[in-house]
Amino acid sequence: MKNNIKVERAKKNITQADLAILAKVSRQTINAMELGKYVPSTVLALKLARIFEIDVSEIFTLEEDDLK
Amino acid sequence: MKLNYLFPNKYKKIGWTLLIPSVIFGLITLIFDFEPIFLDFKVPAILVDEILGKKVLFGFIENNILNEIVGIFIIVSSILVAFSEEVNEDEYISKIRLESLVWAVYINYGILLVAFLFIYDFSFFWVMMLNMFTILLFFIIRFHLQISKQKNMLNNEE
Repeated sequence: MKNNIKVERAKKNITQADLAILAKVSRQTINAMELGKYVPSTVLALKLARIFEIDVSEIFTLEEDDLK
Repeated sequence: MKLNYLFPNKYKKIGWTLLIPSVIFGLITLIFDFEPIFLDFKVPAILVDEILGKKVLFGFIENNILNEIVGIFIIVSSILVAFSEEVNEDEYISKIRLESLVWAVYINYGILLVAFLFIYDFSFFWVMMLNMFTILLFFIIRFHLQISKQKNMLNNEE
């Protein structure tokens, strides 16, 4: 699964630390998600969408690998 | 999402302050076979199975209780260290926790399997005795290494 958290973060002009506070998770979590090393829970995905004021599907997109 | 199977964060510090001296003391008592006479007691036992004696259910047994005390300290303190929340416990840390636990079980039983095959008699008793504690110790080491690796990665980002 791909995500563009980093891009959305840049649009909003907030740091990883800011986003971590807003989403009530650790900075490690934000970092791991941006690096594609961690797939968040549905709850966290929805929270991020709410913070960025966009749809979940605009942040996260499926890749070929996910459909196998 | 709230997890309810972890201890509050403050117990981690208590765990560490108990664990380190207990492990050191435990190893000393093990290596030097330290059994002070004043800790010899008659204690209740579920099964009394004396060498050359008979087997009795629910009886009393002569025993030096130092190893029991040290063992309890190591187990309780390592459980506190292993299963107290991190300051910033969240779903990603839970994932690292679970991975580390699986990893620790694999390593622990891997070592036990090798010991099964190549270590016999009384030496195997030592392996089993250490194996009681190593599963938690392996978990603690692996989990904290992973957490600090994540923290280092963050520091490199800045």
